[in-house]
Amino acid sequence: MSMFSIAANEWARLFLSSRGWLAICAFALIWIVFLAYVIAPAAQYMSSDDFGLIFAALFARFGANTLANWESNEMALYWIFALYLLPFFTMISAADQIASDKTRGTMRFLVLRTSRTQVFFGRFLGQYLIQLFIVLITLCSVFALIAIKAPDGLSIAISEAPIVVINLALVLLPYVALMALVSVLASTARQATAFAIIGWIVLWFLLGYVQGKFGPIPILNWVLPGSQLSSLVRLGHWDTLSLAPIPLLHTVVLLTLGWIAIRRCDL
Amino acid sequence: MNIINTTGLSKNYGSIKALDNLDLSLESGDPIALIGPNGAGKTTLLSLLCGFIHPSSGSAELLGKKVGSRELIGKLAALPQDAHLDPRFSIQRQLGLFAKLQGFSGDAAKKEVSRVLETVLLADAGVKKPGELSHGMRKRVSIAQALIGSPELVLLDEPTAGIDPPNVKIIRDLIRSESSNATFLISSHNLDELEKLCSTVVYLSEGKLVEAGPIKTNTDDGYLTISLPSVPEEQFLRECAKLTGVLNVHRQAQGDYLIRQTEGHAVDQALLALLAKNGWKYRHLIKGRSLEERLYG
Repeated sequence: MSMFSIAANEWARLFLSSRGWLAICAFALIWIVFLAYVIAPAAQYMSSDDFGLIFAALFARFGANTLANWESNEMALYWIFALYLLPFFTMISAADQIASDKTRGTMRFLVLRTSRTQVFFGRFLGQYLIQLFIVLITLCSVFALIAIKAPDGLSIAISEAPIVVINLALVLLPYVALMALVSVLASTARQATAFAIIGWIVLWFLLGYVQGKFGPIPILNWVLPGSQLSSLVRLGHWDTLSLAPIPLLHTVVLLTLGWIAIRRCDL
Repeated sequence: MNIINTTGLSKNYGSIKALDNLDLSLESGDPIALIGPNGAGKTTLLSLLCGFIHPSSGSAELLGKKVGSRELIGKLAALPQDAHLDPRFSIQRQLGLFAKLQGFSGDAAKKEVSRVLETVLLADAGVKKPGELSHGMRKRVSIAQALIGSPELVLLDEPTAGIDPPNVKIIRDLIRSESSNATFLISSHNLDELEKLCSTVVYLSEGKLVEAGPIKTNTDDGYLTISLPSVPEEQFLRECAKLTGVLNVHRQAQGDYLIRQTEGHAVDQALLALLAKNGWKYRHLIKGRSLEERLYG
């Protein structure tokens, strides 16, 4: 029960604070610009024969050659951009799950009333639901774009939406878990984001070094959160779920580490 | 009833022993003073009892339950040192969440928050954010959160530190009135304050337990303490030293004197006669020594 109260309070932390609204407005502005000046014109170019071929060649170059199989151009573009952009937003917006409350001492007031476990998983759950909300809002904005530019394609886009939502929900899961872990170790939200980025890069170099020295070790290719993304864009429709165990496994490992960290840390 | 029980409780920070093998057993009842110089281990002990930090060795039980036990939720409350509410949200909202976590439903939580804010004389402060309140008021809000529900044990770490006298009085009166409902363990450097409030003292020094027992002044310890705000100091010291039974007289703080007497002499009577003869007014006369004098004198 405490966990759900803590999770609900995460929404309040976002929507009832000026800092939360500032983050929402900043993201909304960036997204509107992105939608109007990247997704909308790109979808239009994809529809024209000449540019469509160029786009198909371009995406094929990046391994996303199945994008051409999506029936809605806007959904295809949203899919590829959301897949790479939303995790970065998550690493910023979900960075303050524990850090500042721990530094300020507010966490002490909470753990007198509930367990550290409930606080940790409650904050994680609240932040994850916020990320899902962002996915749904951005998706709705794409529907709005389609409704304005090409209303005939709306029903097709809506039919493709569940694949996108479920996949993005899986993709973002380990990033929220990663931020839960680093926010226990960091003193501020900014430091948590820095820890996550630096840690990710260091691990990426380390894995590359190990494979360079000892030869290819396939399992190491799946160690980093988001390591399945390049494979994911090559898959189409429900085939994408064949990679679902990877983010789920990442999430379990990261949450376990975070749970151990919060139980052991001094408040 | 045994409310605090520690066995071999220790906390090390590297090579520093913040708390060293503490065996302590305290009963419920009147407020308990936790005293000691800086670095004595007071905050470490309170943090260990609240479960904010983990012991290096040993164990602690509160109200017969292991520290960190779920059964202590709602029974243990605390004012942690240097803990602050979130500056982004109103007092009401934050205390409301605390009440909900303690099991109050929506409306009941609101009523409980109003009750505790009224108790600390801050009924109108609920809608404000912590940054809009003075230091003293913030401290009272932090005490208010400790009164949510009906805790049986309340741990207060420096409740009056850095607070102006009017707020100190409010907090002291509050503790006095609430101490019939819960047992308070109060850590403070203000020994006069603690002497007025508490009946038991736990004295720590360098992480070790020095003394744990009744705080009551021993009236037969061979001392008198008198407060004389406006008497000629030299003359008083001279004439007092001449009284039969007086071994020596020392000036302490402004206007306070400690008189050591021999056994079997009613020096207090002679002292009062001396004051009357010279027309000197005294503020108070205490048989025995103050807590500060007993511990550090």
